[in-house]
Amino acid sequence: MDIFSDLVMGLTVAVSPINIVYLLIGAMVGMIVGVIPGFGPSAGLAILLPVTFGMDPIGAIMMLAAIYYGAMYGGTITSILLNTPGESATVASTFDGFPLAKNGRAGPALVMQAAASFVGGTVGVILITVLAPLFAQVSRSFGPPEYFLLALMGMLTLIVMIGAHWKLGVISALIGFALGTVGVDLETGQGRYTFGSAELIGGIYFIPIAIGLFGLGELFYAFYSGLHRTGTGTIVQYDKEERFWPTAQDWISTRMTMVRGSILGFVVGVIPGAGATIASLMAYSTERSLSKNRDNFGKGEMAGLVAPETANNAASSGAMIPLLTLGIPGSASTAVLLAAFLLWGLRPGPLFMEQNPELAWGLIASMYLGNMALLAISIFAIPLFVQIIKVPYRVLGPCIVVICALGTFSVHASFVETYLMFAAGIVGFFMRLYGFSPAALVLALVLGPLAEEALRQTLTISRGSFMIFVERTPSLWIIGITIALLLLLPMLGRVGNTSAGVAEKAGS
Amino acid sequence: MRIAFFVMLLAGGIFYSYIAFVDLDFMTRTGRLGPGFFPRLIGATAIVMTLWALVDELRARNATDGALRQWADVAVLVALSLGYAVLLRLFGGFAATIVFLAVTLSVLNRGQYLKNGLIAVLVPVLLYLLLDRLLNANMPPALITLPL
Amino acid sequence: MEFTTTFKAGVLAAAVALPLGIANDAAAQAAYPSADETLDWTIAFGPGGGNDIMARSIISILEKYDLYPGEIQPENRAGGSGAVGWGYLYGQNGNPYGISTTSGSFVTTPLQADTPWQPEDFTPVALLATDDLVLVVNSESEIQNIEEFIAHAKENPINIGGTGTVNVDFIVPTLFAQKAGFEFDYVSFNSMSEQTTALLSKALDAMVGNPGEILGLIDSGDLRPLVFSGQNVPAALEGVPTMGELGYDIGVSMPRGLILPPDAPAEAQAWWIETMKKVVETPEWDEYIASNTLTPTVIYGEDFRTFLVNTKNGFGEVLRSIGAIK
Repeated sequence: MDIFSDLVMGLTVAVSPINIVYLLIGAMVGMIVGVIPGFGPSAGLAILLPVTFGMDPIGAIMMLAAIYYGAMYGGTITSILLNTPGESATVASTFDGFPLAKNGRAGPALVMQAAASFVGGTVGVILITVLAPLFAQVSRSFGPPEYFLLALMGMLTLIVMIGAHWKLGVISALIGFALGTVGVDLETGQGRYTFGSAELIGGIYFIPIAIGLFGLGELFYAFYSGLHRTGTGTIVQYDKEERFWPTAQDWISTRMTMVRGSILGFVVGVIPGAGATIASLMAYSTERSLSKNRDNFGKGEMAGLVAPETANNAASSGAMIPLLTLGIPGSASTAVLLAAFLLWGLRPGPLFMEQNPELAWGLIASMYLGNMALLAISIFAIPLFVQIIKVPYRVLGPCIVVICALGTFSVHASFVETYLMFAAGIVGFFMRLYGFSPAALVLALVLGPLAEEALRQTLTISRGSFMIFVERTPSLWIIGITIALLLLLPMLGRVGNTSAGVAEKAGS
Repeated sequence: MRIAFFVMLLAGGIFYSYIAFVDLDFMTRTGRLGPGFFPRLIGATAIVMTLWALVDELRARNATDGALRQWADVAVLVALSLGYAVLLRLFGGFAATIVFLAVTLSVLNRGQYLKNGLIAVLVPVLLYLLLDRLLNANMPPALITLPL
Repeated sequence: MEFTTTFKAGVLAAAVALPLGIANDAAAQAAYPSADETLDWTIAFGPGGGNDIMARSIISILEKYDLYPGEIQPENRAGGSGAVGWGYLYGQNGNPYGISTTSGSFVTTPLQADTPWQPEDFTPVALLATDDLVLVVNSESEIQNIEEFIAHAKENPINIGGTGTVNVDFIVPTLFAQKAGFEFDYVSFNSMSEQTTALLSKALDAMVGNPGEILGLIDSGDLRPLVFSGQNVPAALEGVPTMGELGYDIGVSMPRGLILPPDAPAEAQAWWIETMKKVVETPEWDEYIASNTLTPTVIYGEDFRTFLVNTKNGFGEVLRSIGAIK
């Protein structure tokens, strides 16, 4: 019962009053970030990262993690009431969430999405609790060859799942790789693309790029698509008194959906490069193909809302596993979360949980509490979020510019990085406009250097022989899993393709 | 515009590859992968992929760039943001933010003077209190102090 | 690429801006230090790093024992591996109220980039401590001690991991191998935890690291320490020989010291030397040294400048020989 005592220890860390306050702030901010269209957890995390400077690491990490998984709750509110996904992982929730609202069942839809998110999130944390120590044990046998293969797996999965615009996705990733090579070469100490500038020795810092691409870039894009003129569209009215709560039928008919969504979501979340958006689309199409009421999907079927909601929350928990036990981020938002750990001098990896038990278990315990808080917030604070939706984008926009700029500056007090953020914002806007993938760029910026270093370390160790990849048992396993994934994912993706097509329309 | 963006990417790829091939070694003296190995791989692939995507674009020339009106608003916001970047350097975080918000809101949110004025003052004050006072984080310092 | 132009413009702006930010130095005439002047303490790295911890430890000792009469304003001026912060201090030529702490990058950054300053340009106060390294192997390895390690390395191809290349992690094993007469492949990692993982997974044969960071794994029996690069073995590594004891003294370590801007008044330099002599006597200082497993190595004034020049030349030579720098 080692896990149990670890968890209890984590709970005692997490329930200190100040940490609870941080956790609640994080959950609240996560919901708000999720509610604002075009703003996902990546942007929210990147912008708010500097705000945590004055705090102690445990509270800061708990708060940032709460923003990360809290965004999955908030994003659905606009999916249901506005037919506008608050962020990309809640796109699939518009398919049936909005029709439900139009049919006069907005109340039950909102409550069911909160419940589904809670189930997905909590099952996710339970699985983390059980599996993270096992993963950490396994990953102790991972050296540079395995790290190279994992980084490769992440990039391949990402590109395979991009689908139609894969060429642009590859180009986006290549831009990220290229930016990642700037700085002193780790192995030889030779400067690359530094042009003699001291600012560039340490490489291009990840945070300004992330804030620029996801914060400013998305904002510019929202202005391009006219979000500031049309206002927020019509918010579907919902009945607060009668017919607010779901019927018994809603619960009974979706109970297996929740189980399936949670497990599928979690597994997809663990795979580097897949993530919550893909998990929610896959869960939606799986549920539709299994359902008896297949024809009702897209017209307001409760299971069609519950499936993606459990899946995206479970996936965001699943993605914590490779982050904590390997130090490998599987998505843009976990990459920002990794940057947060690093900023605190914490390096996630195989030894992380063993060497920082208080922090690791405190974080895991806080996720149980966080999901409970989010459940309550997302049912009882709905009127508040409806008010936030009503703030016009033309007022919100300039404030977002300010927060991005001051947030970037406060990390390193660097004007160069602030300007870099603005540049990344403009590039991000064009990337978004022309169908490129800012997420692929950011992930490549993190995974690229990791892959390059690991490959060169591997070849130094093996004295130039590639046989090392098949001589080591762990690396052989990873090769096998990668091949299986690359064969399997496109097949599952095809099932999801029809919905992905819808997703694109909903997103634009 | 779309084509121009691709051409710009292509130019970037060529510049990147040029340095990779001219300045950086493919192999180290001891026969390991050198600092230029990855950049050359990335640069060459980037050029090929961008050319490929560019050809696709040229074939499907029906893609329109959106109405002028859409562009006008983005252009204004981008220009104002860049102006803000310059103001930050000159007048520091606090003063620059007030000026930026006042100007931007008066352009985007016309007519609502009271509301705009309040936001332009309250947001910087709140951020200043949060970052500088409460969290002891860095705010951009001013080169020239504005009489505010 | 768009980024490079932005960068250049930014660097240019910073360069133009620096001289404007300097405090006036007229006050140097009065008795030093004046309680009315705020001490502008530059920390050339972000919060939480080794340099930051050192600066803040010294400041808290100064404040606790009322060693400095005025207000001390610590400021993190991170960027360019220290180039920004020390560049800022360099710009305060002659100002007795500017001060900064040094670390390894103080020597290595000017070797790598075109910084306007060199380590010997500043007014040296004191070298206070050095970072030394311990060579370890996986405890499941057959190698039990350093003699076996050297004998093994002479017969077989061997690799040693470390953090970074333009760094003491690379230079220490390189010089040691030269003296002991073996060859090895150096594998460069980004962080201590990555190289530890690689060693535990048996991908690496051995690695070097700061004892403070791997003490836990040595105590738990996961890693076996073989040899220590400093002059005195820390208590926690009792029984491990130093490189000097084996007859392979390499005389290189990372300087943790204190500097003033170039051409600071002699009285300011003298005052700080006297003050630091008091600081290193405090129990708080001992605690700082112990908790960061540093080697206390105290050198004052001009001797510190000489030490910096020697270290820089030694590093430069090794790095040039492998082509890391030109």
